[in-house]
Amino acid sequence: MVELRLPRNSTVGKGQFFPAPAGSKNVRTFKIYRWTPDDDSNPVMDTYEIDIDAIGPMVLDALIHIKNDVDPTLTFRRSCREGICGSCAMNIDGENTLACLKPIRDMKGDILINPLPHMPIVKDLVSNLDGAYAQLRSIEPWMKADSAPPPDGERRQSPEERAKLDGMWECILCFCCTTSCPSYWWNGDRYLGPATLLAAYRWIADSRDEHQGDRLDSLEDTFKLYACRTIMNCTQTCPKGLNPAKAIGRIKELQVERKL
Amino acid sequence: MNATAPSHHTVMRSQLGRARGLGSGHSGTEYWIVERVSAASLLPLSGWFVIQMFRLGGADYEDVTKWGGKPVNATLLAALVATSFYHAEAGLQVIVDDYVHGKATAPAKLLVRFGCGIFGLLGLVSVLKLALGRKG
Repeated sequence: MVELRLPRNSTVGKGQFFPAPAGSKNVRTFKIYRWTPDDDSNPVMDTYEIDIDAIGPMVLDALIHIKNDVDPTLTFRRSCREGICGSCAMNIDGENTLACLKPIRDMKGDILINPLPHMPIVKDLVSNLDGAYAQLRSIEPWMKADSAPPPDGERRQSPEERAKLDGMWECILCFCCTTSCPSYWWNGDRYLGPATLLAAYRWIADSRDEHQGDRLDSLEDTFKLYACRTIMNCTQTCPKGLNPAKAIGRIKELQVERKL
Repeated sequence: MNATAPSHHTVMRSQLGRARGLGSGHSGTEYWIVERVSAASLLPLSGWFVIQMFRLGGADYEDVTKWGGKPVNATLLAALVATSFYHAEAGLQVIVDDYVHGKATAPAKLLVRFGCGIFGLLGLVSVLKLALGRKG
């Protein structure tokens, strides 16, 4: 039935407090979700006071500073630190986004940092995305063509055909959208979620792909595709400014087009 | 490795196997169309119904049965009843899909279908009685 409250072992308690060093001028408070699988204790929110004049401008800079200089036990994923790898996707001040693209100065008051919502936690801010990655793989996000490619080069596309992929190829698979979607929280075992559906449409819309029909067949399902309730959290939260809701709408349009 | 999985691992099926699950049900599109068409149809039908009810305000039994006996009124009324209950069924099923999980899902869905079906039928029979049951 409906989960009206967190399971008992997920209730978040109060954690440790790390004050700012004496003489700090521009102090901001970061409250960060902490949980470790090493013991049976519940998650807590640790509080870190950070002098933001001493660090870079982004939330990721604060996290790296905390890990390097304050509390080396803090665990999070990061790699490129410039919004192209998708590793540092997390929930900052109630919004799924990339820590490396989120300026600290854009936020007021205490800065709350949680892992991506409604996913199993590996540790601290690292959520387990294995299920979401498998769903992405299940839609076979690669080109499928039976015609042989031209012997002298690549499969060609007109500029108009290529333009149809804009707004989709830019997806970095951070899964901010999928984990922001209430429909995915409710039915994530059957609904594919916005990131995977955007990837599915990226291949349906590709003029070089010859399996559009098969792709539409495999998506035509009351849950896989139609569990999208057009809540639009996906589009609102995408740190790359993409529009997964529109891609899902296009898939539904194509489903209707071949039925009517 | 899923750190939050129970230590005895009740589920060892691969993530890809779980993601593919039972495959596509190959349905949902007609349902999605009907959901929207019924919503759009309810706008004019409900508007017509509200206007008619205001016009019939204070009318006696004889006038109302006379109104309901006219083929256009009876047809639109039947369409309103059928569309309303069909749309209600679609909406309630979405609520069940979203909020009722586990073993309760199938009985809840059947209950929604049965309930909306039987009340819709009751409405249609009532319209027919109004349209055809008049003496004289």
